[in-house]
Amino acid sequence: MLRQSARLLALVAGTLLPLSEAVAQEPAAKTAGPAAAKTDPKESPLVSTEWLEKNLDAKKVRIVEVSVEPGVFERGHIPGAQNVVWHTDLVETVSRDIAGPEKFTALVRRLGIDRDTTVVLYGDNNNWFAAWGAWVFAQYGLVDNVKLLDGGRKKWEAEKRPLDTRSAEVAASGFTPAPASSALRARFGDVLAVAKKERDEQILDIRSPDEFSGKIIAPAGVQELAIRAGHIPGSVNVPWGKAVNADGTIKSPAELKALYAAAGIDGTKPIITSCRIGERSSHSWFVLSRILGYQARNYDGSWTEYGNAVGVPVVNLAGTVWGGK
Amino acid sequence: MTDRLAEGALPLPRPHAPAGTAARALPRRLAPAAIAAGLAGAAWWLAGQPGGTRLALSLTFGALFGFVLQRSRFCFYCLGRDFLVAGDPRGLLGILAALAAGLAGYAVVLGAWMPDPAGTRLPPDAHIGPVGPVLVLAGAVFGAGMAVSGSCISAHLYRLGEGSPTAPFALVGTGLGFVLGFATWNPLYLASVSEMPVLWLPRHLGYAGSLAAALGLLAVLAWALLRHLPAPEPRPAVRPDPLRAVFTGRWPVWLGGLAVGAIGALAYLRVGPLGVTAEIGGRSRQAAGALGLLPERLEGLDSFRGCATAVRDAVLTPNGLFVGGLVLASFAAALAAGQFCPARPTGSQVLRGLLGGVLLGWGAMTGLGCSVGTLLSGITAGAVSGWVFGLAMFAGSGLTLWLGRRTGLLA
Repeated sequence: MLRQSARLLALVAGTLLPLSEAVAQEPAAKTAGPAAAKTDPKESPLVSTEWLEKNLDAKKVRIVEVSVEPGVFERGHIPGAQNVVWHTDLVETVSRDIAGPEKFTALVRRLGIDRDTTVVLYGDNNNWFAAWGAWVFAQYGLVDNVKLLDGGRKKWEAEKRPLDTRSAEVAASGFTPAPASSALRARFGDVLAVAKKERDEQILDIRSPDEFSGKIIAPAGVQELAIRAGHIPGSVNVPWGKAVNADGTIKSPAELKALYAAAGIDGTKPIITSCRIGERSSHSWFVLSRILGYQARNYDGSWTEYGNAVGVPVVNLAGTVWGGK
Repeated sequence: MTDRLAEGALPLPRPHAPAGTAARALPRRLAPAAIAAGLAGAAWWLAGQPGGTRLALSLTFGALFGFVLQRSRFCFYCLGRDFLVAGDPRGLLGILAALAAGLAGYAVVLGAWMPDPAGTRLPPDAHIGPVGPVLVLAGAVFGAGMAVSGSCISAHLYRLGEGSPTAPFALVGTGLGFVLGFATWNPLYLASVSEMPVLWLPRHLGYAGSLAAALGLLAVLAWALLRHLPAPEPRPAVRPDPLRAVFTGRWPVWLGGLAVGAIGALAYLRVGPLGVTAEIGGRSRQAAGALGLLPERLEGLDSFRGCATAVRDAVLTPNGLFVGGLVLASFAAALAAGQFCPARPTGSQVLRGLLGGVLLGWGAMTGLGCSVGTLLSGITAGAVSGWVFGLAMFAGSGLTLWLGRRTGLLA
């Protein structure tokens, strides 16, 4: 099931890709300021492939791959990278939750990561699950030292940079986690309060337009469904892939600001990102929170929690009932 | 060993007499060269496409596999039959050689990928399946299908390239058998498969222990078989021409076996475990789904390792290219060796192909792979499921052959 979900997630990513390519062909208004900031890893939440290749042997850098497709890491990864399996390492496998403090601490210690380590996360599918990894890391206080490799695997491979199949051996760290923070994670109650207009926040739904309108409940073949179609009242739709260029890199801050401003999101109000199971929305959370510096939380319950809840307000533009008309 | 014997089960192509004229010899050389060049060109083109490396490698490995299978006539059933009927163990020794080479190659790869095999993880996409009565049943039915149709699925594929009159029907039957397998999957899964353990030997014995145990078992089997070796044939007075030995004469099966084991380990390193049924199964599932012949949900199926039949979303898939490369390379090899002999199928060939194919398909679906995907790729990865499927498969084919010969239905 997990394997199939992973494939389907990959499929969804694939269908979104042409969208991002089409958007990328628009004239890019790149400004010198933010682009320059990107190159300084201390300041920026992104590191370039060029920077990473020069710093492969740096002592305080740990490289971690979080990919969707099983076997991708093992058949060739960035030299020195370690593997994290998103659907077992970063979650609780019985109850629905992110990895608890004990499990997360054990993982991070094994990876040799501490608070003064620069962690570079990357993965396939435009860093989709790498961004989700960054969100989970952030729950336990690893925020500013965690970076994404801009462009992820796709760009590293396209630039024909070296890959390695050997596993890295690192000394374990003595990391102790900060208590899980609620500042970056939205819960059902938070979202419901926004839906009922009891709280003045914005919900960014990053699913496909057809899921948002309620025409379909979930992408074809996905097993984890909701009982109702549509979206949370008051949310706006910007599919996550629109934040990415054709080469897999994240768009410039100016382009991103324009993209979200067009949907009415400009950072003046707190934002909650949401999707189907909370993974794709982590990518948009990363963009909003880490790159644009907006106050953003990710709602990992997403539509599979909200769309299954009893007695909550729903907007169903398409009028889909039980998956049909 | 003995095309002569295998021919008893299935009419096999016979090398043509050497072409008398240059006019006849030229196309025989040109056509295979053109196919080989076409395959190489296709792989070259695929490798240049975004994300096409895996597809290009799949096509290449498939072509190499097809060439090796055709040249050494590596057919699990015929090799077993050589021993059971004629007492010649060299074919089975070739299978043991494939397993030994594959085991060594996999150990090198797995040791690098998962330095500690003791945890709860399994190596990525290695064919390690649940072990229980359903696997035994799947292996036995697959074996029966081999005996009825004359070979296993991979051998039908290389024989398709030789123009075999049975292979097309056996492959159609395999597709039907897959649909039947999907239809019976849910009850079998709920009654048994869901509770059966997925056993991986390195987790319990370590890599060295598991490799030593498997090689030890192969050595015991080889020792038993070696006692039945036939008397050596008189050496030819003239030194064989190396080109003829590679492209026209039959390779010794042990040589083919070593190549199969090496291709298996290299393919696992770069693309994935060898298997020939994922594409057939996936396309059958797609077609049956479109016709409304599938259960709404196939419980747990896509979470298992093995020849995954999850519905395809692309025209070109790695396994599709692997199988395509296999058939085309076998076709080229058969042309070069003068072993491409298409024939009009007889009623018996159609019937045996379809019936045996249905059994092969049901067994391969229920067993999550065939003699390549579950037996070869499983045993070499250290999976108990590979051994169990293999034993059941040889038992099923041996028993069916024995019954068939007693009743006069099988040769």
